[in-house]
Amino acid sequence: MQIQDNLMDPSVISDPYTYFAEIRTNDPVHWSDDFGGWIVTRYEDVAFAFQDQTRFSAERVTPSRKASEKKKKELASTYNVLSHWMVFNDPPKHTRLRLLVNKAFTPSAVEKIKPRIVEISNELLDEMANNEKADIIKDYAYALPILVISEMLGLPKNDRDKIKKWSDDLMLLVFGAVDVPDRHEKAQKSLQEMYDYLHDIASKRRENPQDDLISAIAFAGDGGDKLTTDEIISTCSLLVFGGHETTTNLIANGMMSLLTHPQAYKELKDNPSLISSAVEEFLRYEGPSKAMIRIAKEDLELGGKKIKQNERLLLVQASANRDPAKFTKPDKLDITRHPNQHLGFGRGIHYCLGAPLARVEGEIAIKQLIQRFPQMTLEDVQIEWQPTIINRALKRLPVTLRGTSS
Amino acid sequence: MRVWIDKEKCVGSATCTIIAPNVFDINEDGQAVVANNEAEGINDINKSADNCPVQAIVIEKK
Ligand code: HEM
Repeated sequence: MQIQDNLMDPSVISDPYTYFAEIRTNDPVHWSDDFGGWIVTRYEDVAFAFQDQTRFSAERVTPSRKASEKKKKELASTYNVLSHWMVFNDPPKHTRLRLLVNKAFTPSAVEKIKPRIVEISNELLDEMANNEKADIIKDYAYALPILVISEMLGLPKNDRDKIKKWSDDLMLLVFGAVDVPDRHEKAQKSLQEMYDYLHDIASKRRENPQDDLISAIAFAGDGGDKLTTDEIISTCSLLVFGGHETTTNLIANGMMSLLTHPQAYKELKDNPSLISSAVEEFLRYEGPSKAMIRIAKEDLELGGKKIKQNERLLLVQASANRDPAKFTKPDKLDITRHPNQHLGFGRGIHYCLGAPLARVEGEIAIKQLIQRFPQMTLEDVQIEWQPTIINRALKRLPVTLRGTSS
Repeated sequence: MRVWIDKEKCVGSATCTIIAPNVFDINEDGQAVVANNEAEGINDINKSADNCPVQAIVIEKK
């Protein structure tokens, strides 16, 4: 059986599920020349690799295999910032970085900022209500998470557009949007600007602490296990960045799923208390994170294949989450699904730090959107997904807010 | 007091084993277990429960 070897093929981008199901059925741990590594597709194997941090390393930030030496040099400072992101580190550095910010993202900490998230959502909805039509992404899903995380960190309101732009440019690099030719340069420039900006604010907070997350991070571990300046700034940039695009896509993919499944949509409108299991189902059925990369630390065996030390593995969450060995009727959207142990936030020690926040943002955002515009319908246009391997992201989600009058 | 892990929720983030290593452990399925029911240190157990990203630690006060 010949498996088509191009993860960026338009058919794979528009429907990754059919493609990965074919691999999962025929060759579940599959070598891909195109990716330059193993494609891991079964729930069991994906979960296993996420959980075994002793043999599967998360230290994976290296310049593109295809980059020239000159380019690699130019990008050194970008990779320096990324190299302090906890998500790209193994223990013990990972543990240290994570514990120092964990407190701000626990479910009980997030519970306290719920009222502010509701307010922010309402402000955006008020603005949308002035028009007949909207792009759910541009007008709502995009703005909400960046406003929330900026406020948590304590970044000045006026700087939000700047922060959004930096975050976008960096996303081009990390999420591998290969159709943007100057993505490396853009990311590099934005990351540098963002670094200087955060550096400036963090130094100010060290002199004059406020009741915000950036102050907490700037002083984190002052007792003994101090963060270096590079680590402080990198951690802040990870929070801005990690909390942004993914949550946008949770809201957008969730709304998209509802708008294309009238029965589920109605069920949720009739019974808003289903929102939390609905959000879990969106994370499974159309999760923002399609796949994550790991590096084999030693020669090992996975799903009957011999993996060599230093080989890359693509852990495909979009496939694991549709594995019939784990989920009944995996290709059906069921907003009441229980249990639902999806891998949308990963597993093991790198399990998404922001999961409690993302869940609450997703729940509030979708619930309020439906309440405000119960007649909303999808516009009759071609649905396009961003051409990336790692992310499940719509380009636009155009809707008519009060339904079609015809 | 009884402490247990909700297996349906636990995602193996290992937060509890870092905060209270003398109470919690990770089993071969990658999930947390209460390894030592006799362990002292209610503060660390409470702290673990509060820091758990999925609220999988259940503390039953008798
Ligand atoms: C629906 C939205 C989100 C999704 C789908 C998502 C997904 C993920 C996934 C799959 C990982 C694991 C990465 C790996 O194993 O290599 C991760 C890690 C992480 N996420 Fe999220 N995330 C979301 C929202 C957020 C938010 C709101 C924040 C914070 C403000 C955040 C911060 C982080 C951080 C800091 C890590 C690294 C954790 C570690 O390495 O220990 N994420 N996320």
